[in-house]
Amino acid sequence: MSPTSTAARSFIARARRTLDVAGHTGNLGLLLVGVIVVFSLLNPTIFPTPLNLQSIAYAVPEIALLALAIAVTMSSGGIDLSIVATANLSALAAATVSIALLSSGTPDDVAAVAGIAVALLVGIGCGLINGLLVAKVRIAPILATLATMTLFSGLAVALTRGTPLYGLPNAILALGVQTVAIIPVSFWLLVVATILIWAVMNRTGLGLRIILVGASPEAADYTGIRRSRVLLSTYALSGAIAAFAGILMSARSASATADYGSSYLLLAITIAVLGGTNPLGGRAPIVGVSIAAIVLQAISSGFNGLHISPYVYQIVQGLILVVVLVVEVRRGRLTSWIQRMTKRPPADGAALTSEPSRSPNITSPDTIHAAGTTRA
Amino acid sequence: MSDLIRSPRFDLVRLRGRNNEGVLLGIIVLLVVLIAIFSPGTLSIGMFSDVLRSSVVNMALALGVLLIIISGGIDVSFTAIAIFAAYSTVVLMRSIGLDNGILPFLAATVIGALIGIVNAVLVAGFKLQTLIATLGSQGIVRGALLAFVGSVYISSLPPALAQVGDARLATIGGSAVSVLVIPVILLAIGLSAVLRKTMFGRSVYAIGGAPESARRAGIRVGQVQTIIYIAAGAFSGFAGMVHVALVGHASPFELVGTELTVIAAVVIGGASDTGGRGSVQGVALGVLLLALIQNSLVRLGVPGFWHTAFVGVVILLGVAIQAQSRRRRNKRSAILESSVTA
Repeated sequence: MSPTSTAARSFIARARRTLDVAGHTGNLGLLLVGVIVVFSLLNPTIFPTPLNLQSIAYAVPEIALLALAIAVTMSSGGIDLSIVATANLSALAAATVSIALLSSGTPDDVAAVAGIAVALLVGIGCGLINGLLVAKVRIAPILATLATMTLFSGLAVALTRGTPLYGLPNAILALGVQTVAIIPVSFWLLVVATILIWAVMNRTGLGLRIILVGASPEAADYTGIRRSRVLLSTYALSGAIAAFAGILMSARSASATADYGSSYLLLAITIAVLGGTNPLGGRAPIVGVSIAAIVLQAISSGFNGLHISPYVYQIVQGLILVVVLVVEVRRGRLTSWIQRMTKRPPADGAALTSEPSRSPNITSPDTIHAAGTTRA
Repeated sequence: MSDLIRSPRFDLVRLRGRNNEGVLLGIIVLLVVLIAIFSPGTLSIGMFSDVLRSSVVNMALALGVLLIIISGGIDVSFTAIAIFAAYSTVVLMRSIGLDNGILPFLAATVIGALIGIVNAVLVAGFKLQTLIATLGSQGIVRGALLAFVGSVYISSLPPALAQVGDARLATIGGSAVSVLVIPVILLAIGLSAVLRKTMFGRSVYAIGGAPESARRAGIRVGQVQTIIYIAAGAFSGFAGMVHVALVGHASPFELVGTELTVIAAVVIGGASDTGGRGSVQGVALGVLLLALIQNSLVRLGVPGFWHTAFVGVVILLGVAIQAQSRRRRNKRSAILESSVTA
């Protein structure tokens, strides 16, 4: 095999991979446009107004960030059910510290920065606890984070005795109300966070290792990746993102409580999967997840404007999750069949010389399911 | 296992049980002894019946979850199914003016089984990951309940049903034990027998242990999974009715949100998160342990706002102990992994 043909082939493989990811994200973009057009036609006096679009933009960032945290852990083949609890605990820690600083006469800005720093530290701490449980104690991620979810929210309740904290620094509150060029500050922050997380997942060694561990833990072992270290970083990253979401949550509600956003967990998982995250790991479509968050929030707002019961929205949410997954599985079956039919059968020993194939795209749904039942 | 029988640790191993049931029983006894030492006044037979009372609904729910977890899946939709079945049965009874003590339990079980078909189709038919499938069906079932069946609190049940809920098997230490304990115990014994003695039961373990091997051994994985999810739906529907009968009102907002506690009880009871392991006895002990801890926190005067954190710690410890003991058991097969990660 000549070097040019290998190069050409790897280029084609890479292009196909990019198209595959961009394809799903592109579809989501089209879906977003479609949702906006449909609701604008159904409710032309309310939905397409700047005020309504702005209110969507205010609501999206916190839930999008939580979904991003899920997407990061999912791409490593795990899941983090403790994100909402982590967000609340971090927000409470931030509120406690910054309110104490304010009352001792510290300038507003300093108290805000200190609060945010404390929140991020608490979030990373929570994430590290999850990471230790998953990587070192080797508890299944879903159970480990289920336990810490109860623990963190229990700590949050114990800290505040169930009462909300008010009197946050103005600089934090500004994150929830101010706009830059009509668009809310929090939405700009989401854009920045999306770019940063995308860069971490797609342009750094850590991101590559996270995705590799998710795609195939065995292969990661043979590559010499220290899986436990990668998992620690994964859950720490998830905790930090959740803490950031917590700050935005407390900024928007002007308070910090232990039980804010209790319905957010399932919504965040739905968004992550709708965004194109493979629940079994090996794929991190960060931009898609953020767009998916906007799509769902737009649907929710559109339903609201049409006075459709929020319970119907809950049904739609469940339907979207199931239908997207069913279509994905079907498509996976179709593409793997096409691949099998169009690919030349590999020569003897091909696996030893060719570049490793990316398992999540090629494995048949049956083996995906089998892997799911053993790892879920 | 066979070389263990000859080893001197045999007795210990047997006491410990296949799924750490012995350890769990030990922890429960230890806890009771600790309470007896530190706060002898709180330990009464009344406490025993309180624990039993608060375990009934969770036990009935846990049976369905156990079935699914043994088969290697996870279910988060069962509480939604439970309250959907129970609430819509009560609504139906009120609208047609039916008053009966036994029919509602049958009706709720049937409704639960029918909703279970949705999960069965998604998991066995479309081969979706069980967490995602049941997450979706949870949203759909709960949304359908609140949007189409009703979202109002029904404060009084039909008299015959209310009577069943109030009926006492016995009054121990001033605390009533409901008759509904009996059907739940019978169901538990029945499920245990099915799991251990029937071809279907062994298939459930086989699928959870290694789906591919099970398939090659001639087990119809899809068919067994279909039965599992329909049966789990039936258990949930029944459990929902037990809940409604016991609390004496029907609220569509109850139960949902407790699914993680039930899953935790099942896992603490020794059901493996990766499938292929678990027993009804273990689950019963797990449910009792959680109920005992919650109950003793109240009796020992621990402030209410610390309860959730405490339960979180217990769940964490339980899950960690199970994970560690499984790891020790699997050590020999994991030689390669440990040499790579070392």
